[in-house]
Amino acid sequence: MLDVGRHPNIELRAFTEVDKVEGESGDFKVTLRKKARYVDEAKCTGCGACVEKCPTLVPDAFNEGLGNRKAIYSWFAQGIPSTHTIDPGYCRVFNGKKCGVCQKTCQAEAIDFEQKDQLLELDIGAIVVATGYDVFDPSRIPEYRYNELDNVVTAIEFERLLSASGPTSGHLDRPSDRAVIAEIEDLKKQVKKGSRLLANQEKKYEEKSPDFYAKYKAGEYPEDKERQKWAGQYAEQLRLQERLDALEKKAAGFKTAKKLAFIQCVGSRDHRFYPFCSGYCCMHSIKEAIIAHEHDPETQTTIYGMDIRAVGKGFEEYKVRGGNSSNISYQRARIAEINQDKEHNPVLVYEDTRARKIRREKFDLVVLATACAPNRGNKELAEKLGIDLSRYGFFQTSRVNPIDATRPGIFVCGCAHSPIDIPESVAQASSAAARAVQSLRTLEREEKQKEVGKAS
Amino acid sequence: MSKDILVIGGGIGGIQSSLDLAEMGYKVHLVEQLPSIGGKMAQLDKTFPTNDCAI
Ligand SMILES: Cc1cc2nc3c(=O)[nH]c(=O)nc-3n(C[C@H](O)[C@H](O)[C@H](O)COP(=O)(O)OP(=O)(O)OC[C@H]3O[C@@H](n4cnc5c(N)ncnc54)[C@H](O)[C@@H]3O)c2cc1C
Ligand code: SF4
Ligand code: SF4
Repeated sequence: MLDVGRHPNIELRAFTEVDKVEGESGDFKVTLRKKARYVDEAKCTGCGACVEKCPTLVPDAFNEGLGNRKAIYSWFAQGIPSTHTIDPGYCRVFNGKKCGVCQKTCQAEAIDFEQKDQLLELDIGAIVVATGYDVFDPSRIPEYRYNELDNVVTAIEFERLLSASGPTSGHLDRPSDRAVIAEIEDLKKQVKKGSRLLANQEKKYEEKSPDFYAKYKAGEYPEDKERQKWAGQYAEQLRLQERLDALEKKAAGFKTAKKLAFIQCVGSRDHRFYPFCSGYCCMHSIKEAIIAHEHDPETQTTIYGMDIRAVGKGFEEYKVRGGNSSNISYQRARIAEINQDKEHNPVLVYEDTRARKIRREKFDLVVLATACAPNRGNKELAEKLGIDLSRYGFFQTSRVNPIDATRPGIFVCGCAHSPIDIPESVAQASSAAARAVQSLRTLEREEKQKEVGKAS
Repeated sequence: MSKDILVIGGGIGGIQSSLDLAEMGYKVHLVEQLPSIGGKMAQLDKTFPTNDCAI
Protein backbone atom coordinates (compact mmCIF):
# COMPACT_ATOMS: atom_id res chain seq x y z
CA MET A 1 0.00 0.00 0.00
CA LEU A 2 2.87 2.30 0.84
CA ASP A 3 4.29 1.79 -2.65
CA VAL A 4 1.11 3.15 -4.21
CA GLY A 5 1.36 6.34 -2.20
CA ARG A 6 4.97 6.83 -3.23
CA HIS A 7 5.08 5.75 -6.88
CA PRO A 8 5.84 8.72 -9.15
CA ASN A 9 3.51 7.36 -11.85
CA ILE A 10 0.51 6.99 -9.54
CA GLU A 11 -1.78 9.89 -8.77
CA LEU A 12 -3.59 8.74 -5.65
CA ARG A 13 -7.05 10.29 -5.60
CA ALA A 14 -8.72 9.22 -2.37
CA PHE A 15 -12.11 10.50 -1.17
CA THR A 16 -12.94 10.96 -4.84
CA GLU A 17 -15.68 9.60 -7.09
CA VAL A 18 -16.30 9.31 -10.79
CA ASP A 19 -18.84 11.95 -11.81
CA LYS A 20 -19.10 11.55 -15.58
CA VAL A 21 -17.47 9.54 -18.38
CA GLU A 22 -17.70 10.54 -22.04
CA GLY A 23 -15.85 9.51 -25.20
CA GLU A 24 -14.45 6.13 -26.06
CA SER A 25 -11.49 3.80 -25.75
CA GLY A 26 -8.24 5.75 -26.07
CA ASP A 27 -10.10 9.01 -25.67
CA PHE A 28 -12.27 9.01 -22.56
CA LYS A 29 -13.13 12.36 -20.97
CA VAL A 30 -13.56 11.61 -17.28
CA THR A 31 -14.87 14.04 -14.68
CA LEU A 32 -13.92 13.25 -11.09
CA ARG A 33 -15.49 14.70 -7.96
CA LYS A 34 -13.00 15.27 -5.19
CA LYS A 35 -15.23 15.33 -2.13
CA ALA A 36 -14.72 17.99 0.51
CA ARG A 37 -12.81 16.62 3.53
CA TYR A 38 -12.85 20.04 5.23
CA VAL A 39 -9.15 19.39 5.74
CA ASP A 40 -6.49 20.71 3.34
CA GLU A 41 -4.67 17.70 1.88
CA ALA A 42 -1.56 19.74 1.14
CA LYS A 43 -1.26 20.93 4.74
CA CYS A 44 -2.46 17.98 6.89
CA THR A 45 0.42 15.93 8.26
CA GLY A 46 -1.82 13.22 9.71
CA CYS A 47 -0.51 13.94 13.22
CA GLY A 48 -3.88 13.18 14.86
CA ALA A 49 -3.77 16.06 17.37
CA CYS A 50 -7.25 17.17 16.22
CA VAL A 51 -8.71 13.72 16.87
CA GLU A 52 -7.66 13.78 20.50
CA LYS A 53 -9.40 17.09 21.11
CA CYS A 54 -12.59 16.50 19.09
CA PRO A 55 -15.50 16.01 21.55
CA THR A 56 -17.84 14.15 19.16
CA LEU A 57 -18.02 10.35 19.12
CA VAL A 58 -19.17 8.56 15.96
CA PRO A 59 -19.63 4.81 15.31
CA ASP A 60 -16.46 3.65 13.56
CA ALA A 61 -17.35 2.22 10.13
CA PHE A 62 -13.87 0.74 9.65
CA ASN A 63 -14.49 -1.30 12.82
CA GLU A 64 -17.96 -2.22 11.56
CA GLY A 65 -19.53 -0.02 14.26
CA LEU A 66 -17.98 -2.12 17.07
CA GLY A 67 -16.05 0.89 18.34
CA ASN A 68 -16.17 4.66 18.11
CA ARG A 69 -14.14 7.25 16.27
CA LYS A 70 -14.32 11.05 16.35
CA ALA A 71 -16.10 13.42 13.95
CA ILE A 72 -12.64 14.26 12.57
CA TYR A 73 -10.89 11.01 11.74
CA SER A 74 -8.51 8.97 9.66
CA TRP A 75 -10.11 5.92 8.03
CA PHE A 76 -7.72 3.66 9.97
CA ALA A 77 -4.43 4.21 11.76
CA GLN A 78 -2.05 3.20 8.95
CA GLY A 79 -4.37 4.52 6.18
CA ILE A 80 -2.89 6.00 3.02
CA PRO A 81 -3.20 8.88 2.49
CA SER A 82 -3.15 9.81 6.18
CA THR A 83 -5.09 13.01 5.49
CA HIS A 84 -7.81 13.44 8.08
CA THR A 85 -11.46 14.04 7.21
CA ILE A 86 -14.34 15.79 8.98
CA ASP A 87 -17.68 13.98 8.94
CA PRO A 88 -20.24 16.79 8.45
CA GLY A 89 -23.06 14.45 9.52
CA TYR A 90 -21.71 14.53 13.09
CA CYS A 91 -19.29 17.50 13.40
CA ARG A 92 -20.71 20.10 15.80
CA VAL A 93 -19.85 23.00 13.48
CA PHE A 94 -21.99 21.52 10.69
CA ASN A 95 -24.82 20.92 13.13
CA GLY A 96 -25.20 24.50 14.31
CA LYS A 97 -23.27 24.08 17.56
CA LYS A 98 -20.23 25.91 18.85
CA CYS A 99 -16.94 24.07 18.49
CA GLY A 100 -14.02 24.37 16.05
CA VAL A 101 -11.71 22.74 18.61
CA CYS A 102 -9.84 20.86 15.85
CA GLN A 103 -9.18 24.14 14.05
CA LYS A 104 -7.72 25.65 17.22
CA THR A 105 -5.60 22.53 17.78
CA CYS A 106 -4.22 22.10 14.27
CA GLN A 107 -0.74 23.60 14.07
CA ALA A 108 -0.64 23.11 10.30
CA GLU A 109 -3.79 25.26 9.85
CA ALA A 110 -5.23 22.49 7.70
CA ILE A 111 -8.87 22.70 8.83
CA ASP A 112 -11.13 24.45 6.32
CA PHE A 113 -14.84 24.38 7.14
CA GLU A 114 -15.56 26.23 3.88
CA GLN A 115 -13.98 23.61 1.60
CA LYS A 116 -16.18 22.55 -1.35
CA ASP A 117 -16.26 19.50 -3.64
CA GLN A 118 -13.93 19.99 -6.61
CA LEU A 119 -14.52 18.78 -10.16
CA LEU A 120 -11.54 17.60 -12.13
CA GLU A 121 -11.36 16.66 -15.83
CA LEU A 122 -8.97 14.02 -17.11
CA ASP A 123 -8.09 12.61 -20.53
CA ILE A 124 -7.98 8.85 -20.10
CA GLY A 125 -7.01 6.07 -22.50
CA ALA A 126 -8.26 2.99 -20.62
CA ILE A 127 -10.20 2.22 -17.44
CA VAL A 128 -9.83 -0.57 -14.87
CA VAL A 129 -12.88 -1.17 -12.68
CA ALA A 130 -11.91 -2.60 -9.25
CA THR A 131 -14.82 -1.55 -7.06
CA GLY A 132 -15.00 -4.76 -5.04
CA TYR A 133 -18.03 -6.05 -3.15
CA ASP A 134 -20.40 -5.47 -0.24
CA VAL A 135 -20.91 -7.80 2.70
CA PHE A 136 -24.36 -9.42 2.45
CA ASP A 137 -26.78 -8.02 5.04
CA PRO A 138 -27.70 -11.06 7.19
CA SER A 139 -30.73 -9.34 8.72
CA ARG A 140 -32.44 -10.33 5.46
CA ILE A 141 -32.54 -13.88 6.90
CA PRO A 142 -34.99 -13.48 9.80
CA GLU A 143 -34.27 -16.88 11.39
CA TYR A 144 -30.69 -15.85 12.23
CA ARG A 145 -31.95 -12.79 14.17
CA TYR A 146 -28.73 -10.91 13.50
CA ASN A 147 -30.20 -7.54 14.55
CA GLU A 148 -31.71 -8.90 17.77
CA LEU A 149 -29.02 -11.19 19.18
CA ASP A 150 -25.88 -9.43 20.42
CA ASN A 151 -23.66 -12.47 20.16
CA VAL A 152 -24.41 -13.24 16.53
CA VAL A 153 -21.85 -11.37 14.42
CA THR A 154 -20.72 -11.31 10.79
CA ALA A 155 -17.35 -12.67 9.71
CA ILE A 156 -16.04 -9.17 8.96
CA GLU A 157 -17.06 -8.02 12.45
CA PHE A 158 -15.25 -11.06 13.82
CA GLU A 159 -12.11 -10.00 11.89
CA ARG A 160 -12.23 -6.66 13.74
CA LEU A 161 -12.65 -8.45 17.10
CA LEU A 162 -9.62 -10.63 16.32
CA SER A 163 -7.48 -7.67 15.27
CA ALA A 164 -4.91 -6.33 17.74
CA SER A 165 -5.68 -2.85 16.40
CA GLY A 166 -9.44 -3.45 16.63
CA PRO A 167 -12.00 -2.30 19.21
CA THR A 168 -11.17 -5.10 21.69
CA SER A 169 -7.40 -5.15 21.05
CA GLY A 170 -7.79 -8.69 19.74
CA HIS A 171 -9.68 -10.14 22.72
CA LEU A 172 -12.85 -12.06 21.89
CA ASP A 173 -15.04 -10.04 24.25
CA ARG A 174 -18.68 -10.82 23.52
CA PRO A 175 -20.80 -7.92 22.25
CA SER A 176 -23.38 -8.52 25.03
CA ASP A 177 -20.60 -8.27 27.63
CA ARG A 178 -19.17 -5.17 25.96
CA ALA A 179 -22.62 -3.57 26.18
CA VAL A 180 -22.64 -4.23 29.94
CA ILE A 181 -19.12 -2.80 30.32
CA ALA A 182 -20.20 0.30 28.38
CA GLU A 183 -23.21 0.68 30.71
CA ILE A 184 -20.91 0.34 33.73
CA GLU A 185 -18.69 3.14 32.39
CA ASP A 186 -21.74 5.30 31.83
CA LEU A 187 -23.11 4.57 35.32
CA LYS A 188 -19.75 5.41 36.88
CA LYS A 189 -19.89 8.84 35.24
CA GLN A 190 -23.42 9.40 36.51
CA VAL A 191 -22.50 8.28 40.04
CA LYS A 192 -19.55 10.67 40.02
CA LYS A 193 -21.80 13.53 38.97
CA GLY A 194 -24.34 12.52 41.66
CA SER A 195 -21.62 12.51 44.32
CA ARG A 196 -20.74 16.07 43.39
CA LEU A 197 -24.37 17.22 43.78
CA LEU A 198 -24.69 15.45 47.13
CA ALA A 199 -21.40 16.92 48.36
CA ASN A 200 -22.77 20.41 47.70
CA GLN A 201 -25.93 19.67 49.68
CA GLU A 202 -23.92 18.15 52.53
CA LYS A 203 -21.80 21.27 52.70
CA LYS A 204 -24.86 23.53 52.67
CA TYR A 205 -26.65 21.68 55.50
CA GLU A 206 -23.53 20.42 57.28
CA GLU A 207 -24.93 16.92 57.41
CA LYS A 208 -24.14 13.61 55.69
CA SER A 209 -26.69 12.48 53.09
CA PRO A 210 -27.54 9.06 54.70
CA ASP A 211 -28.23 10.70 58.09
CA PHE A 212 -30.38 13.36 56.49
CA TYR A 213 -32.21 10.78 54.36
CA ALA A 214 -33.09 8.66 57.41
CA LYS A 215 -34.65 11.71 59.07
CA TYR A 216 -36.40 12.72 55.85
CA LYS A 217 -37.89 9.25 55.53
CA ALA A 218 -39.11 9.50 59.13
CA GLY A 219 -41.11 12.54 58.01
CA GLU A 220 -38.98 15.26 59.53
CA TYR A 221 -39.13 17.82 56.69
CA PRO A 222 -42.67 17.63 55.28
CA GLU A 223 -42.81 21.13 53.67
CA ASP A 224 -39.12 21.73 52.86
CA LYS A 225 -38.84 21.95 49.02
CA GLU A 226 -35.04 22.27 49.04
CA ARG A 227 -34.57 19.21 51.20
CA GLN A 228 -37.07 17.30 49.06
CA LYS A 229 -34.71 17.91 46.12
CA TRP A 230 -31.77 16.61 48.16
CA ALA A 231 -33.75 13.49 49.08
CA GLY A 232 -34.56 12.95 45.41
CA GLN A 233 -30.90 13.27 44.47
CA TYR A 234 -29.89 10.82 47.17
CA ALA A 235 -32.57 8.27 46.17
CA GLU A 236 -31.37 8.46 42.57
CA GLN A 237 -27.77 7.96 43.71
CA LEU A 238 -28.78 4.84 45.64
CA ARG A 239 -30.57 3.49 42.56
CA LEU A 240 -27.55 4.12 40.31
CA GLN A 241 -25.14 2.60 42.82
CA GLU A 242 -27.30 -0.49 43.19
CA ARG A 243 -27.43 -0.99 39.42
CA LEU A 244 -23.68 -0.38 39.18
CA ASP A 245 -22.91 -2.93 41.89
CA ALA A 246 -25.14 -5.54 40.24
CA LEU A 247 -23.53 -5.01 36.83
CA GLU A 248 -20.01 -5.06 38.25
CA LYS A 249 -20.77 -8.34 39.96
CA LYS A 250 -22.06 -9.71 36.69
CA ALA A 251 -19.05 -8.39 34.75
CA ALA A 252 -16.63 -10.08 37.15
CA GLY A 253 -17.84 -13.39 35.69
CA PHE A 254 -17.35 -12.40 32.04
CA LYS A 255 -15.04 -14.58 29.96
CA THR A 256 -13.89 -14.19 26.39
CA ALA A 257 -15.75 -16.31 23.81
CA LYS A 258 -14.30 -19.81 23.66
CA LYS A 259 -17.03 -21.93 22.14
CA LEU A 260 -17.62 -20.70 18.61
CA ALA A 261 -20.01 -21.64 15.82
CA PHE A 262 -19.67 -20.54 12.21
CA ILE A 263 -22.65 -20.71 9.86
CA GLN A 264 -21.69 -21.04 6.20
CA CYS A 265 -23.45 -19.86 3.05
CA VAL A 266 -25.31 -16.96 4.69
CA GLY A 267 -26.95 -15.52 1.57
CA SER A 268 -24.89 -17.71 -0.79
CA ARG A 269 -26.13 -20.93 -2.40
CA ASP A 270 -29.57 -19.82 -1.29
CA HIS A 271 -32.21 -19.29 -3.94
CA ARG A 272 -33.91 -16.59 -1.89
CA PHE A 273 -30.77 -14.44 -2.27
CA TYR A 274 -27.71 -15.47 -4.30
CA PRO A 275 -27.61 -18.92 -5.88
CA PHE A 276 -23.84 -18.72 -6.43
CA CYS A 277 -21.06 -19.86 -4.08
CA SER A 278 -19.08 -16.89 -2.75
CA GLY A 279 -15.93 -18.98 -2.96
CA TYR A 280 -13.88 -17.53 -0.09
CA CYS A 281 -16.16 -17.79 2.98
CA CYS A 282 -15.43 -21.45 3.82
CA MET A 283 -11.78 -20.51 3.89
CA HIS A 284 -12.16 -17.38 5.98
CA SER A 285 -14.22 -19.25 8.58
CA ILE A 286 -11.42 -21.81 8.92
CA LYS A 287 -8.88 -18.98 9.10
CA GLU A 288 -10.83 -17.09 11.78
CA ALA A 289 -11.20 -20.27 13.85
CA ILE A 290 -7.47 -21.00 13.55
CA ILE A 291 -6.59 -17.46 14.69
CA ALA A 292 -9.08 -17.59 17.58
CA HIS A 293 -7.42 -20.84 18.66
CA GLU A 294 -3.98 -19.19 18.40
CA HIS A 295 -5.24 -16.45 20.74
CA ASP A 296 -6.66 -18.96 23.22
CA PRO A 297 -5.92 -22.70 22.94
CA GLU A 298 -9.14 -23.49 24.84
CA THR A 299 -11.16 -22.29 21.84
CA GLN A 300 -13.46 -24.89 20.31
CA THR A 301 -15.09 -24.29 16.96
CA THR A 302 -17.82 -26.00 14.97
CA ILE A 303 -18.32 -24.96 11.36
CA TYR A 304 -21.87 -25.70 10.13
CA GLY A 305 -22.63 -25.97 6.45
CA MET A 306 -23.66 -28.07 3.49
CA ASP A 307 -20.00 -28.90 2.80
CA ILE A 308 -16.64 -27.15 2.96
CA ARG A 309 -15.38 -25.76 -0.33
CA ALA A 310 -11.63 -25.60 -0.04
CA VAL A 311 -10.79 -25.21 -3.73
CA GLY A 312 -7.42 -23.55 -4.24
CA LYS A 313 -3.72 -24.08 -3.89
CA GLY A 314 -3.02 -25.46 -0.41
CA PHE A 315 -6.62 -24.93 0.75
CA GLU A 316 -7.60 -28.54 1.48
CA GLU A 317 -4.43 -28.94 3.55
CA TYR A 318 -5.34 -25.77 5.44
CA LYS A 319 -8.77 -27.20 6.23
CA VAL A 320 -7.32 -30.49 7.48
CA ARG A 321 -4.72 -28.66 9.55
CA GLY A 322 -7.47 -26.59 11.16
CA GLY A 323 -9.28 -29.79 12.14
CA ASN A 324 -6.17 -31.52 13.45
CA SER A 325 -4.44 -28.68 15.28
CA SER A 326 -7.00 -25.97 16.01
CA ASN A 327 -9.96 -27.78 17.59
CA ILE A 328 -12.21 -27.25 14.58
CA SER A 329 -14.96 -29.72 13.72
CA TYR A 330 -16.96 -29.59 10.54
CA GLN A 331 -20.66 -30.40 10.89
CA ARG A 332 -22.88 -31.03 7.88
CA ALA A 333 -26.10 -29.29 8.78
CA ARG A 334 -29.05 -27.08 7.89
CA ILE A 335 -29.63 -24.31 10.43
CA ALA A 336 -33.29 -23.80 11.34
CA GLU A 337 -32.89 -20.83 13.67
CA ILE A 338 -30.81 -19.14 16.35
CA ASN A 339 -32.27 -18.49 19.80
CA GLN A 340 -30.61 -17.32 22.97
CA ASP A 341 -30.69 -18.24 26.65
CA LYS A 342 -30.80 -15.87 29.64
CA GLU A 343 -27.00 -15.37 29.63
CA HIS A 344 -27.15 -14.14 26.02
CA ASN A 345 -25.64 -17.41 24.78
CA PRO A 346 -26.82 -18.07 21.23
CA VAL A 347 -28.47 -21.49 20.84
CA LEU A 348 -28.40 -23.10 17.40
CA VAL A 349 -31.30 -25.25 16.32
CA TYR A 350 -30.24 -27.32 13.33
CA GLU A 351 -30.72 -30.50 11.39
CA ASP A 352 -27.73 -32.79 11.47
CA THR A 353 -28.13 -33.81 7.83
CA ARG A 354 -26.00 -36.93 8.17
CA ALA A 355 -27.82 -38.37 11.18
CA ARG A 356 -31.12 -36.77 10.05
CA LYS A 357 -31.72 -35.52 13.57
CA ILE A 358 -32.81 -32.15 14.90
CA ARG A 359 -30.32 -30.87 17.47
CA ARG A 360 -29.71 -27.87 19.70
CA GLU A 361 -26.33 -26.54 20.76
CA LYS A 362 -25.34 -23.58 22.90
CA PHE A 363 -22.37 -21.32 22.01
CA ASP A 364 -20.59 -18.24 23.34
CA LEU A 365 -20.60 -16.58 19.93
CA VAL A 366 -21.99 -17.34 16.46
CA VAL A 367 -20.26 -16.02 13.32
CA LEU A 368 -22.16 -15.67 10.04
CA ALA A 369 -20.14 -16.34 6.88
CA THR A 370 -21.95 -13.76 4.76
CA ALA A 371 -22.11 -13.82 0.97
CA CYS A 372 -20.07 -11.65 -1.38
CA ALA A 373 -22.80 -9.27 -2.56
CA PRO A 374 -22.28 -7.01 -5.57
CA ASN A 375 -21.30 -3.46 -4.60
CA ARG A 376 -24.52 -1.43 -4.37
CA GLY A 377 -22.86 1.38 -6.35
CA ASN A 378 -22.26 -0.89 -9.38
CA LYS A 379 -25.48 0.06 -11.15
CA GLU A 380 -24.80 3.78 -11.11
CA LEU A 381 -21.17 3.31 -12.14
CA ALA A 382 -22.15 0.91 -14.97
CA GLU A 383 -24.52 3.57 -16.32
CA LYS A 384 -21.80 6.23 -16.21
CA LEU A 385 -19.33 3.91 -17.96
CA GLY A 386 -21.89 2.60 -20.45
CA ILE A 387 -21.20 -1.04 -19.56
CA ASP A 388 -23.48 -3.93 -18.52
CA LEU A 389 -23.93 -5.79 -15.27
CA SER A 390 -24.41 -9.53 -14.92
CA ARG A 391 -27.78 -10.77 -13.66
CA TYR A 392 -26.53 -10.76 -10.07
CA GLY A 393 -25.12 -7.21 -10.30
CA PHE A 394 -21.40 -7.80 -10.85
CA PHE A 395 -19.82 -6.30 -14.00
CA GLN A 396 -20.50 -8.35 -17.11
CA THR A 397 -17.36 -9.59 -18.86
CA SER A 398 -16.69 -11.23 -22.19
CA ARG A 399 -16.66 -15.02 -22.43
CA VAL A 400 -13.64 -14.94 -24.69
CA ASN A 401 -11.66 -12.29 -22.84
CA PRO A 402 -12.84 -12.71 -19.26
CA ILE A 403 -11.32 -9.44 -18.03
CA ASP A 404 -12.98 -7.24 -20.68
CA ALA A 405 -16.15 -5.30 -19.84
CA THR A 406 -18.86 -4.93 -22.47
CA ARG A 407 -17.22 -1.82 -24.01
CA PRO A 408 -13.72 -1.51 -25.49
CA GLY A 409 -11.10 0.09 -23.24
CA ILE A 410 -12.75 -0.94 -19.93
CA PHE A 411 -11.48 -3.88 -17.87
CA VAL A 412 -12.64 -5.48 -14.61
CA CYS A 413 -10.81 -7.25 -11.78
CA GLY A 414 -11.33 -8.47 -8.22
CA CYS A 415 -14.75 -8.81 -6.62
CA ALA A 416 -16.18 -6.26 -9.06
CA HIS A 417 -15.81 -9.15 -11.51
CA SER A 418 -17.15 -11.97 -9.30
CA PRO A 419 -16.65 -13.33 -5.78
CA ILE A 420 -12.95 -14.22 -5.56
CA ASP A 421 -10.27 -14.26 -2.90
CA ILE A 422 -7.15 -12.10 -2.62
CA PRO A 423 -4.69 -14.28 -4.60
CA GLU A 424 -7.15 -14.51 -7.48
CA SER A 425 -7.94 -10.78 -7.28
CA VAL A 426 -4.23 -10.02 -7.52
CA ALA A 427 -3.81 -12.29 -10.54
CA GLN A 428 -6.83 -10.70 -12.24
CA ALA A 429 -5.56 -7.24 -11.42
CA SER A 430 -2.32 -7.96 -13.26
CA SER A 431 -4.33 -9.32 -16.19
CA ALA A 432 -6.47 -6.17 -16.24
CA ALA A 433 -3.33 -4.02 -16.26
CA ALA A 434 -1.91 -6.05 -19.16
CA ARG A 435 -5.19 -5.85 -21.11
CA ALA A 436 -5.37 -2.08 -20.59
CA VAL A 437 -1.83 -1.66 -21.95
CA GLN A 438 -2.61 -3.96 -24.89
CA SER A 439 -5.66 -1.91 -25.78
CA LEU A 440 -3.62 1.31 -25.75
CA ARG A 441 -0.83 -0.22 -27.84
CA THR A 442 -3.31 -1.49 -30.41
CA LEU A 443 -4.86 1.97 -30.70
CA GLU A 444 -1.42 3.54 -31.05
CA ARG A 445 -0.48 1.12 -33.80
CA GLU A 446 -3.71 1.78 -35.64
CA GLU A 447 -3.17 5.53 -35.38
CA LYS A 448 0.37 5.21 -36.75
CA GLN A 449 -0.83 3.05 -39.62
CA LYS A 450 -3.46 5.66 -40.46
CA GLU A 451 -0.80 8.35 -40.56
CA VAL A 452 1.48 6.22 -42.71
CA GLY A 453 -1.50 5.59 -45.00
CA LYS A 454 -2.16 9.34 -45.28
CA ALA A 455 1.49 10.13 -46.02
CA SER A 456 1.87 7.58 -48.83
CA MET B 1 -5.42 9.85 -27.75
CA SER B 2 -4.43 9.66 -24.08
CA LYS B 3 -2.18 7.02 -22.56
CA ASP B 4 -3.24 7.70 -18.97
CA ILE B 5 -5.18 5.00 -17.17
CA LEU B 6 -7.98 5.39 -14.65
CA VAL B 7 -8.31 2.73 -11.96
CA ILE B 8 -11.61 2.90 -10.05
CA GLY B 9 -11.43 1.37 -6.56
CA GLY B 10 -8.45 1.21 -4.21
CA GLY B 11 -8.82 -2.29 -2.76
CA ILE B 12 -6.23 -4.99 -3.35
CA GLY B 13 -7.39 -5.34 -6.99
CA GLY B 14 -7.07 -1.64 -7.82
CA ILE B 15 -3.78 -1.34 -5.93
CA GLN B 16 -2.20 -4.26 -7.80
CA SER B 17 -3.40 -3.00 -11.20
CA SER B 18 -2.08 0.48 -10.46
CA LEU B 19 1.34 -0.79 -9.40
CA ASP B 20 1.67 -3.01 -12.50
CA LEU B 21 0.67 -0.16 -14.80
CA ALA B 22 2.94 2.33 -13.07
CA GLU B 23 5.85 -0.10 -13.30
CA MET B 24 5.19 -0.45 -17.05
CA GLY B 25 5.63 3.31 -17.30
CA TYR B 26 2.00 4.37 -17.54
CA LYS B 27 0.50 7.28 -15.67
CA VAL B 28 -2.26 6.00 -13.36
CA HIS B 29 -5.06 7.86 -11.62
CA LEU B 30 -6.24 5.65 -8.74
CA VAL B 31 -9.65 6.77 -7.53
CA GLU B 32 -10.96 5.64 -4.12
CA GLN B 33 -14.27 6.80 -2.67
CA LEU B 34 -13.21 6.33 0.99
CA PRO B 35 -10.66 8.53 2.83
CA SER B 36 -7.88 5.90 2.42
CA ILE B 37 -7.10 2.99 0.11
CA GLY B 38 -6.93 -0.66 1.18
CA GLY B 39 -10.51 -1.86 0.70
CA LYS B 40 -11.76 -4.89 2.62
CA MET B 41 -8.29 -6.36 2.95
CA ALA B 42 -7.27 -3.54 5.28
CA GLN B 43 -10.03 -4.70 7.66
CA LEU B 44 -8.80 -8.28 7.80
CA ASP B 45 -6.65 -9.46 10.69
CA LYS B 46 -4.67 -12.04 8.73
CA THR B 47 -5.27 -13.75 5.40
CA PHE B 48 -5.59 -17.39 4.31
CA PRO B 49 -3.92 -19.55 3.18
CA THR B 50 -0.66 -18.29 4.70
CA ASN B 51 -2.07 -16.36 7.71
CA ASP B 52 0.11 -13.39 6.82
CA CYS B 53 -0.88 -10.02 8.21
CA ALA B 54 -3.20 -8.27 5.79
CA ILE B 55 -1.36 -4.93 5.76
C1 LIG C 1 -14.67 -11.67 6.51
C2 LIG C 1 -13.84 -11.84 5.29
C3 LIG C 1 -12.57 -12.38 5.40
C4 LIG C 1 -11.79 -12.59 4.26
N1 LIG C 1 -10.57 -13.17 4.40
C5 LIG C 1 -9.82 -13.41 3.30
C6 LIG C 1 -8.55 -14.03 3.41
O1 LIG C 1 -8.11 -14.36 4.53
N2 LIG C 1 -7.83 -14.31 2.30
C7 LIG C 1 -8.31 -13.99 1.04
O2 LIG C 1 -7.64 -14.27 0.06
N3 LIG C 1 -9.51 -13.35 0.90
C8 LIG C 1 -10.28 -13.06 1.99
N4 LIG C 1 -11.48 -12.42 1.85
C9 LIG C 1 -11.88 -11.97 0.51
C10 LIG C 1 -11.25 -10.57 0.18
O3 LIG C 1 -11.83 -9.62 1.05
C11 LIG C 1 -11.48 -10.17 -1.27
O4 LIG C 1 -11.00 -11.17 -2.11
C12 LIG C 1 -10.74 -8.89 -1.65
O5 LIG C 1 -10.90 -7.90 -0.67
C13 LIG C 1 -11.22 -8.34 -2.98
O6 LIG C 1 -10.54 -7.16 -3.27
P1 LIG C 1 -11.13 -6.05 -4.25
O7 LIG C 1 -10.06 -5.06 -4.45
O8 LIG C 1 -11.72 -6.67 -5.44
O9 LIG C 1 -12.37 -5.41 -3.47
P2 LIG C 1 -12.49 -4.51 -2.13
O10 LIG C 1 -11.58 -4.95 -1.08
O11 LIG C 1 -13.96 -4.48 -1.84
O12 LIG C 1 -12.03 -3.05 -2.59
C14 LIG C 1 -12.82 -2.24 -3.42
C15 LIG C 1 -12.44 -0.79 -3.20
O13 LIG C 1 -13.10 0.03 -4.15
C16 LIG C 1 -13.69 1.15 -3.52
N5 LIG C 1 -14.85 1.55 -4.32
C17 LIG C 1 -16.01 0.89 -4.49
N6 LIG C 1 -16.82 1.55 -5.33
C18 LIG C 1 -16.16 2.67 -5.72
C19 LIG C 1 -16.48 3.75 -6.59
N7 LIG C 1 -17.64 3.80 -7.25
N8 LIG C 1 -15.56 4.72 -6.76
C20 LIG C 1 -14.36 4.69 -6.07
N9 LIG C 1 -14.01 3.68 -5.26
C21 LIG C 1 -14.89 2.68 -5.08
C22 LIG C 1 -14.06 0.63 -2.15
O14 LIG C 1 -14.21 1.69 -1.22
C23 LIG C 1 -12.87 -0.28 -1.83
O15 LIG C 1 -11.83 0.43 -1.23
C24 LIG C 1 -12.29 -12.21 2.98
C25 LIG C 1 -13.55 -11.64 2.88
C26 LIG C 1 -14.34 -11.46 4.01
C27 LIG C 1 -15.72 -10.89 3.89
S1 SF4 D 1 -5.92 18.23 10.52
FE1 SF4 D 1 -4.16 19.18 11.58
S2 SF4 D 1 -4.21 18.32 13.65
FE2 SF4 D 1 -5.52 17.01 12.37
S3 SF4 D 1 -4.16 15.36 11.65
FE3 SF4 D 1 -4.11 16.96 10.07
S4 SF4 D 1 -2.35 18.23 10.64
FE4 SF4 D 1 -2.82 17.01 12.46
S1 SF4 E 1 -17.37 -20.68 -0.01
FE1 SF4 E 1 -18.35 -22.06 1.41
S2 SF4 E 1 -19.64 -20.72 2.70
FE2 SF4 E 1 -19.08 -19.53 0.93
S3 SF4 E 1 -20.81 -19.80 -0.45
FE3 SF4 E 1 -19.25 -21.31 -1.03
S4 SF4 E 1 -19.80 -23.11 0.10
FE4 SF4 E 1 -20.94 -21.42 1.05
